[in-house]
This record gives sequence, structure tokens and C-alpha cells, in this order.
Amino acid sequence: MPPGEVSTSRVGERIIYWTWVPLFAIWITAFLLFPGFIPPVSPRASAAEVAEFYRQDLSRIRYSMILFNWFGVALIPILMLIAERMRGMAHRTPVLRFCVIGVAGGAPIAFLTSTVFWLVAAFRPDRSPDLTLLTNDLAWVTFTCGVPFLIALYLFIALAVAWDDQPRPVFPRWIAWFNVVIALVTVPAAFAGLAKRGVFAWDGLVSFWVKNVAIAVWIVVMAWSLRSAMARDGEVIEAGA
Amino acid sequence: MTAVDGLADDAAVGGDDAARRFPGDPDMWIFVVVESLVFTSYFCIYLYARTQHEQAFLAAQSALTMWVGILETILLLTSSWAIARCVQCTRAGSYAAARQFAFVTAGLGAAFFALKIAEWVHLIRDGYSFGSSDFMQHFFFLTGIHAAHLVIGFVALGVLVYELSDPRRRSHKTIETCSTYWHTVDLFWVVIFAMLYVVR
Amino acid sequence: MTQERGKLRGAKRELWLAWYVTVAFYGLYSVVFFALARAQPPGRPWLDPGQTVAWFADRHWGLLIGFGLIFVLGGFSAVALALITYSIRRMSVSPAYAYSYLILYAIAAIPGFMFICVAMTCGVMRPDLSPVTTQWLYDLGFLSFVGTMGVFLVGSLIWMVAILIDENGVLPRWFGYLSLVNALTEVVIAPSWIFQRGVLAYNGAIGFWVNVPVFGLYTVAFILLLRDFIRRDDLGTGPLPMPPPDVWGHAKRAVEAVGA
Repeated sequence: MPPGEVSTSRVGERIIYWTWVPLFAIWITAFLLFPGFIPPVSPRASAAEVAEFYRQDLSRIRYSMILFNWFGVALIPILMLIAERMRGMAHRTPVLRFCVIGVAGGAPIAFLTSTVFWLVAAFRPDRSPDLTLLTNDLAWVTFTCGVPFLIALYLFIALAVAWDDQPRPVFPRWIAWFNVVIALVTVPAAFAGLAKRGVFAWDGLVSFWVKNVAIAVWIVVMAWSLRSAMARDGEVIEAGA
Repeated sequence: MTAVDGLADDAAVGGDDAARRFPGDPDMWIFVVVESLVFTSYFCIYLYARTQHEQAFLAAQSALTMWVGILETILLLTSSWAIARCVQCTRAGSYAAARQFAFVTAGLGAAFFALKIAEWVHLIRDGYSFGSSDFMQHFFFLTGIHAAHLVIGFVALGVLVYELSDPRRRSHKTIETCSTYWHTVDLFWVVIFAMLYVVR
Repeated sequence: MTQERGKLRGAKRELWLAWYVTVAFYGLYSVVFFALARAQPPGRPWLDPGQTVAWFADRHWGLLIGFGLIFVLGGFSAVALALITYSIRRMSVSPAYAYSYLILYAIAAIPGFMFICVAMTCGVMRPDLSPVTTQWLYDLGFLSFVGTMGVFLVGSLIWMVAILIDENGVLPRWFGYLSLVNALTEVVIAPSWIFQRGVLAYNGAIGFWVNVPVFGLYTVAFILLLRDFIRRDDLGTGPLPMPPPDVWGHAKRAVEAVGA
């Protein structure tokens, strides 16, 4: 393969790759900006209290959620970089890659939907408190419990890496274990509907902090690992040429 | 595909047994059997609902015009005859004649469709719509789902004409499959006509 | 020859795992919806607000635990999707069919379980919500679940056309026609958005009791056919070495087995 062709493809992928840094910065900023995350709004709050929340600090609520609404989906190209690395894995069929592509849209859609609910709640703060409570509930349940696509994504990647039987695998083995751990710590959040207080409630340590910190850690670790995987791809292609 | 290839297809699918027992494509008969079961359940549900509200159904049924139903039935039955002639011509090798019969079938089917739509518009203008009574709900549902089958029938006719048009194709199996489908749609209509228009 | 076949079986582990996960997923999904959450058969569309509150209260723990399980495992619906997408890629048709199917059914997960799980969890979490609002959640859950059949309709038709024009013999033609039967039931459910009672409502004789068994038959058929496809697959790109199963042959053998 002529070197010119290879480098165009690699430059293109690098462009996508490096978007993860500003994206991560935007997400962290929005996370800190939203007054409902630190501390998280309690599921035990009454309609009046929730309505009051949406009347104070309206700008912070709106701008943080607008940022999330716009950039929540921006992780998808990076997920596709991971899917592309799966082509280099020693699999006999593309089934695992199709699994990853199949769930790649799900988590952003769930996240997007919850930002829409938060923004709608904040749009008319003088709405009846019952309606605001409902909208707030829908946002929090979608955000906290809506984790099936994330869990599946982590486990598909883990399996793909574990079954990458070649002398120089695309991702190191420990990435598989890492993804399994992240999936396991995300599982309790799915049951947040069962608890209104304690660590499993949507404002609790496990369903909120552990789950969201896990996402952040996952992004950083996978991004770092993706860099070596992309470099490996380049070397393998050049070695073959 | 030549006529020989078409016969070879028949033999390949399920062996000579199946080809001898069923004309055309044995696979299409799965559709016929299962879809007939589904339609039978729709008919049973209609008849059961009718026994529960006999007076109301009778009253609502009077909104339908008998001669329209008869005309529609004649159109579809004739179209079935036309497509049967089309298959006969195909088997005899007169592909040009077969094509003409296919177009006749399509024309009659289109006439049925136009008449059906006119009937629906007329009923809606008179105030009888999908939700106006239990009988009308069944009427619009049964004739509507039948019309959906008819639209698919036009697609099947399109495939049939496409097969006939090029001497390199002309798979007898495909042509007979499309014809089987058309006959099935006609059969469903005859039962719908009997139940909705005739039985009072 | 045996050693080669053994190697191939090992090499097919991705397909076999996908198949077993598909079976497990459909099994779990049915158990959760029918037995645990008791959200199927669906609640009556004509319940007044007070009755919907009672409906939720009746199923409090079943809904929360059952849908919690779906919140954990729902993403594995993508495995069935990936396996079917692979089967379409294995056909002689354009990849556009496979990728259309992939996207359509990826989207289908949203009305397929996300909407109803979120709506019902919210409904059950707050028993002191106003009854009218509870009824709104009840409607949202059931209507989005039963009524949004467009994705499944278009997806079924894409798969059907691919099967009927495929020359590699991946899946039998009779299943293509069965897909048409299934696609038509997805048209039949459309009036459920209109009727609060009657045979075409989402819990009606036609809307539920005819439609769901047809869908069940279709699902069992494709699960069995996918198993057969995996057995025959040579992981290549041309026509498969053996033709797809002929339902008459199976029926004949079944009859002979019973009679013998």
C-alpha cells in the first residue's frame, strides 16, 4: 500500500480521536455547571421543592443542559474509532463489531432524552409543580436507570478484546477486565427506582457518583488505550505493505 | 432464466415430491396457510362480535351498497381468471400473450381498488367512519387490510411482468408464485364480501 | 475432515454465543414482561385515572424489579440484531440491506423497551402522583410499546426483500413469506392509537391476541432458522454449501418420526 494512502486514513482518524479532549472538558464543565448534580436533586424532594429548584439558578441549569444536549452525542465518532479497531481483531465474523455499532446510538439517545426533560422543566418555571415534578422524574429516571446500552457496550468490548486471539492484540488483555468492572459498577443504577434514599437512590453514592465517575474513567482509559491501538494499526499496515 | 431452469428450481426445492404435489413455489404455500389462519381468526372475531350485537350490526350494515360489493367481486374474480390465463400462456411458451393477461389482471385490480376507495369516501361523507360503530370498525379494518394485501399484489404483478419481459428470466416458479398470491387475495375478498355484504 | 469441522466450530463461537444470548434474551424479556412485571397482556386502555393508580400499585415490586432487569440487560437485544445483520451480510445482496436493518433495529430498542420502562418506573415510584398524571404515564408506556411498529415493519420488509432476492441460500424463501405475514400484523396494530376499546385496541382480540401469537411464531421460526444457518455457514462469501431447510421436508420427517 503506498504510504500516501495510509497517512490520509490515519490523519482522518486522528482528527476524530483528538476531539475527545475538548469533548471531555465540555462534559466536565457542564457537569459542574448543572446545579442539580452537586449535590444531586433528591428523589424525596416534594413538588414544591423541585419547582423551587427550577426557579433558582435558571441560567446554570439551562446552559449546562444545552451543552449536554449538543455534545452528548459527540462521543459516537470515538466509539466508531473503537469499532474500526475491531476490524483488526482476530475474529472470524463481524458479529461483535455489529453489536458495538448496534448499541453505540443507544446511550447517547438516552442521555439526550434526559437533557430534553431537564430543559423542558426549566423552560417554564412557573408551571404547575406537579408537572415540573413529573418532568424532573422522567429526566432523572432516564438518566440514572437508562444504562442498558452502556452496560452492553462495555461487555461487548470486553468480549471482543478477550477473543482477540493473536500474538499482538489490538487492545491489551486488561482492557477486557476493566470493561467488565465498569459494567458491574454500572448495574446497580438500573435499580434506582427501588430506592428513594440511600446509596442506590438516584442521588446516592452508587447510582449517581460511582456510575458517572465510572463513565468518566472509562472515557479516559479507553481514549488512552485507543491511541496505542491506532498506532499499532498503523504499524501493522506498514509492516504488511 | 429459461423454462428449463424454472422446472429445475421446482425439483430442487424439497425434492420432486414437493414439486409434484404443489404447483409453483411450495414456499409460497406457507404464506397462504398462515395468512389464511390469521384471516380466519379475524373472521371468527367479527362473527362473534356480530352475535353479541346482532341488531346494531344489521342496522349499520344497511349503509353498505350491495351492487358495489357484487361489482367488486366480479372485478376480482375476473382478474383471477386473467392471471390463470397468464400462467397457462407462460406454460405454453406464449410469453407475449401472458404479458397481456398480466396487464389485464393489473387493470382489473386497479379498477377494484378505485371502486373501493370511492366506496370508502362515499361512506365517510355519509358520516360512517372507522370509529362510528362496531360494525364499521370491522368493515373498515377488514376491507383496509385486504386493500393492503392488494397493494402487495400489485408489487407481485410487477415482479411477474418483470420476469416475463426478458427472455433471460421467465422463471416459471416466480410467475406461479405471484399468481398464487393473487388468487389468495381474491379468495380473502370473496369471504369478506360474503360476510360483510351478503350475510344479513 | 473432522478436524477441519472442529476448527470451524471453534471459529463459529462468536455466532453460537450470539445465538444462545439471543435465545436467553427473548426468554428473559418474555418472563419479565409476562410474569414479573405483568405488563403483558397489557392493561386495559379504558381504565380511569384511579384504576391506573391501582394497576401500578398492584404491580409495584414486579415492575420495579422486572424493569430494573431490563434496564441492565436490554442492550443485549443488539446481539440478535448483530446476528441477523451478519446473516444479511452473508447474502448476495447489497450491504445496504444489512446496514439498514442494523440501524432500524438499533432504533427499535427505544420504543421496544426504553419508553415503557422509564414511564412505568416513574409511575410506580410516586404513588402519590395525581391520578390523571399516572394515567398519562400509563398511556405513554403502553401506547409507545405497542403502537410504534413502524421500525419493526420497515425492518421486517428489508429483511424479507433481502431473503427473497438472495442467491446464497442463507435463509429459506418460506421464511421470507412468513416475514410478510409478520409485517402485515405490524400494520394491523396501527389503529391501537385510535381505539380505547374494542378488537383493535392494544389489548384487543385482534390487536393483541392475534398479533402476538403471530409474532411469537415468527420469532421461534427465525431463532430455529438462525441456528440452522450457523450450522451451514462456511464463514465465506459465496453460496452456502447446503441449501436452507425446506419446511415440507421437516414436516414430512416429523410426521414419519411420529408415525414410525
